[in-house]
Amino acid sequence: MDQILEQARTIYEGEIDFKGQQLAELLTYALLTISGIIAFLAGFVTQNIYQTLYIGLGGTALTFLVVVPPWPYYNQNPQPWLPAKTGKSALDGVSIEVDGKKIS
Amino acid sequence: MHNTLTRVQNVFGFFTSVAFAVAAGIAMSVLLSPQAPSASLELKNVQVVKGRPHYYSTKREEYAHVKFDLDADLTSLFNWNTKQLYLSITASYPSSDPSTIPPSEAVIWDAIIPSDYAPLHPNTYIHPASKAKKSAKPKKKESGKPYPAGGSPGIVRLENQKPKYQITDVSGKIAKRGNATLSLHWNVQPWVGALVWTNKNSIGRWQGLQGGEAKFDFPPLKGTEVKKDDLKTETGGERNRGSPA
Repeated sequence: MDQILEQARTIYEGEIDFKGQQLAELLTYALLTISGIIAFLAGFVTQNIYQTLYIGLGGTALTFLVVVPPWPYYNQNPQPWLPAKTGKSALDGVSIEVDGKKIS
Repeated sequence: MHNTLTRVQNVFGFFTSVAFAVAAGIAMSVLLSPQAPSASLELKNVQVVKGRPHYYSTKREEYAHVKFDLDADLTSLFNWNTKQLYLSITASYPSSDPSTIPPSEAVIWDAIIPSDYAPLHPNTYIHPASKAKKSAKPKKKESGKPYPAGGSPGIVRLENQKPKYQITDVSGKIAKRGNATLSLHWNVQPWVGALVWTNKNSIGRWQGLQGGEAKFDFPPLKGTEVKKDDLKTETGGERNRGSPA
């Protein structure tokens, strides 16, 4: 059960790594700006403002498709966890106090 | 950007900025498209008769019925950002005391001329077929256009056009008023950006309206010798179309 919920959370949150976040941000700005410019020029050249509207909306839809889902290319550089410490060394350098009594 | 929801918000947020910038660009781009509107407006006939504002009224007023010829080329007002053009013809006449009271102005005819790309709407203008073509069967393709056959939006050719509205003065007296002017006005309604009214001066690439004015005097009052048929008004596209009978 927990495993299923964990999978559901992963799909719902769609987290990506740090490099991926940088790339996603760059793609958002680049794709939207370029589609805006293309939309304006296409409409101006054809003298038809519907071209601007539909190219602009199409470019936005494409940007949503490219940026929003956690595509594999956003997870190429996963941040590694620190290695797990086992046994006595696990509490090295950690001090825990309970009621003024030092435990470790 | 770390999860789906933030990415949706960021993309949509920047989309609104881009959409605003593009809209601003479109609104400014109309300044680049040259305009050279011209029109020839002539008075055909004007008659003043007694009438009443509505059927049960006991008030008797003088009404002027103005017929005109209009040959206008306003095609340059239609650029990629023009949705429709509101055209009107007004009769204006000076007040009794021009130094303190401004002249009176009354609309006698108006029309909404849509661009070729504007969605169909029942209230927009339908240009009458020219007289020579009326004998021939009107082609289905050409009927219902806001400009004469073979033209483009902004061309208006009207001969002996009936007014849409009969006009009167607040005082109820309009006969024998002199120094009146018939003039063409417009309002360009864009897809995005500012509304633009008639301009008579040249600004940048926009030239002012050439012509589109006619001087006349209101004639003396006439009686029953004027036939009712001569006082009919034009029914606009907005009358009874798109509304229940």
